[in-house]
Amino acid sequence: MNRTIMHIDMNAFFAAVEQQADPALRGKPVVVTGRDKRTVILTASYEARTFGIKTGMRLDQAFACCPDLIRVAANNRAYADVSAKIIDIFKDYTSDVEVFSIDEAFLDVTGSLTLFGSDEAIAQAIKAQIKKRFGLTCSVGIAENKLLAKLASGLQKPDGLTRIPPERVTTILHDLPVSALCGIGPSTAARLQGLGVTTCGQLGNYPPKVLKRIFGVMGERLILMGRGIDSRPVQPTRNDEPVKSVGHSMTLRQDLTDSAAIGKVLLQLSEMVGRRARRYGVKGRTVSLTLRYADFHTFSRRRTGTDPISHSSDIYSAAMSILSQLILEQPVRLIGISLEGLQYSSEQYPLFDDVRQRQSLTDALDQVNDRFGEFTVMAGSLLDVGEKGSGVISPAWRPDGIRNVKVR
Amino acid sequence: MEFSIEKEVFLKSLNQIQGIVEKKHTIPILSNVLIEAKDNNIFITATDLEIAVKSFYKSNIKKTGKVTISAKKLYEIIKELPNKEIFFKVKDNYWIEIKCGKSVFNLVGLSPDEFPKFPEFNNINFKSIDKKLLSEMIDKTIYSVSSDETKFNLTGIYFNFENELLTMVSTDGHRLSLISNKFDNFENTNFILPKKGIFEIRKLIEEKNEYFNIGISENNFIVDTGNTNLVMRLVDGEFPDYNRVIPEKNDNKAIINKNELLYSLKRVSTISSDKTKGIKINLKHNLLKIYSSNPDLGDANESIDVDYSGSEIDMGFNSKYLIDFLQTVEEENICLYLKDNLSPGILEQEINNNYYCVIMPMRL
Repeated sequence: MNRTIMHIDMNAFFAAVEQQADPALRGKPVVVTGRDKRTVILTASYEARTFGIKTGMRLDQAFACCPDLIRVAANNRAYADVSAKIIDIFKDYTSDVEVFSIDEAFLDVTGSLTLFGSDEAIAQAIKAQIKKRFGLTCSVGIAENKLLAKLASGLQKPDGLTRIPPERVTTILHDLPVSALCGIGPSTAARLQGLGVTTCGQLGNYPPKVLKRIFGVMGERLILMGRGIDSRPVQPTRNDEPVKSVGHSMTLRQDLTDSAAIGKVLLQLSEMVGRRARRYGVKGRTVSLTLRYADFHTFSRRRTGTDPISHSSDIYSAAMSILSQLILEQPVRLIGISLEGLQYSSEQYPLFDDVRQRQSLTDALDQVNDRFGEFTVMAGSLLDVGEKGSGVISPAWRPDGIRNVKVR
Repeated sequence: MEFSIEKEVFLKSLNQIQGIVEKKHTIPILSNVLIEAKDNNIFITATDLEIAVKSFYKSNIKKTGKVTISAKKLYEIIKELPNKEIFFKVKDNYWIEIKCGKSVFNLVGLSPDEFPKFPEFNNINFKSIDKKLLSEMIDKTIYSVSSDETKFNLTGIYFNFENELLTMVSTDGHRLSLISNKFDNFENTNFILPKKGIFEIRKLIEEKNEYFNIGISENNFIVDTGNTNLVMRLVDGEFPDYNRVIPEKNDNKAIINKNELLYSLKRVSTISSDKTKGIKINLKHNLLKIYSSNPDLGDANESIDVDYSGSEIDMGFNSKYLIDFLQTVEEENICLYLKDNLSPGILEQEINNNYYCVIMPMRL
């Protein structure tokens, strides 16, 4: 059956949200960055993009392009909040909404067409609602599958509405560079170029045997992609594979060598990981500690215990015991903790009162922090730590479920 | 140093220490065995600093002396040698020559100087203990010892000699097993023996011993069997007050055929998730139903006729905990006491209720 898939991509999302919140920023070159000194550009407004400013640039590079640039520190909580509300709008039109990242989603509207008239009617209605409620624009791509819908939304930015009808697929793909397809990154594109393949048209007509030999199972998919064929369904978030780990990481404001200072960060991360695990009722047997040195060398060490845990203090002591066995060779730049080997549905009750009391204590602390905000009640040693909690929205962020990280 | 010894005897002496030598190689000398030749005997010593064992065996000593060598490697070599007399000789720089039949091995040994001294004890009041009964009590408590090193005080079996009764208890925080028996010639005392040490005691019991005496000296527990001395450090920690977690027995008592329950649990739990091994039970008038389900596999259930007239009850358990207990029961029937799905259940031998297991339920 022919499907109608929509890909909706918010235009310069973070920057646009800031411009809406502060009229003085509208029409001006604005970049949204992290809060620290050593941050990079997260999003540039369209005005800033005309100066050649791109996501991932360092601040000094960006100011070199445009001295009048306005820098805004990211307000992640606002973005997550707006994103969740926009996703709610999508859900008024179909239940099949796959949140791809904080500013992108796929909608399968096949079953909603008769209800709302046409795909374009749905797209226009969604665009109008987002514009009216949040003042934001988005680019919508409509096609028969996710690959082409994503391609279509990228063809007209900002504020676009592009449809790739089935009869036009071959023509559009014929001269399109392979790197325009979502899923073909620079390294795959380079390998394809080595085979003399630069356009989708060439890719679709390449002998399958050869591609299979070089790319393995991916070979077959690549040919289908070249032909604009993609059978992957739109997967609503709730049907996602069960989450395998709960983790948080933090780039430090300054590199640390002192293990007491690192321990403090671990305490904070343990609380964040523990809180999220407990909120969704999961426990894990394995604690993994990730460290990144000043030279970006990154490694993880894990420790698996006999019983699944979710108390912040248990996670902390596991992380500390991993740390105590390491000899740090360089200052540490980033620290991450994750709880793995998650167990969802069951719980072994403890035999001893003290363990049960600890459980009640944790429950009480969680209730206070649920009501009055994260880190309202916390370990005394964290009192002098400035901003706590997650400052970055991870690519795995989702509007609901265990991946919904509360950002500050 | 030079001696000759029968292969079988040498092999047995080396086999006995394989469980004790350090396997992590954090302190290299601890993965070695100390061999000492004197007074027509060879003395074999191994230790991991927590547990030490020393035993002696008759042999033909030509020249006295000491040497150490990798316990594992020496054992592997001796195991493969023909069943003949073995000639063992230490040469310069602790090179060891082993000859047996037509085989010759030259092995790197280490100086015995760095090998930890075997602890010496004086004035220990050794008491003979019924080793068969001790072995049974170990088997009925060892399975619920915690292997979580962060709960140090639970990593051994608690021994409590009180009023001529020995009670042995172990718990991992989720279940607890307890057995008591009369031992009349012991004074009141209590201590925790480490799991690894218990395994060594268990191994010693299996052997032929002249006698089987135990003694305590400060923080050490000592076993003397005539030709072997086993010393282990007591677990340094306080065992929790277990009496508080043992619930009162109530009227919800089911009498169940042990084997029927054991095999049905084994069958039904094959479906349970690998991590938790959770199963659900439903107990009502004269019928126990066991079931388990797994979203990836499917479900299973089985019913057993039991003797029960209490109220209907539904609860979840880790099937491994139930199976661990049932596997140690020799009686035909067991009793199961339940209260509600948040309170611990008791499993007990029907006739000799000096042995039972308290198990906390699971939420499934």
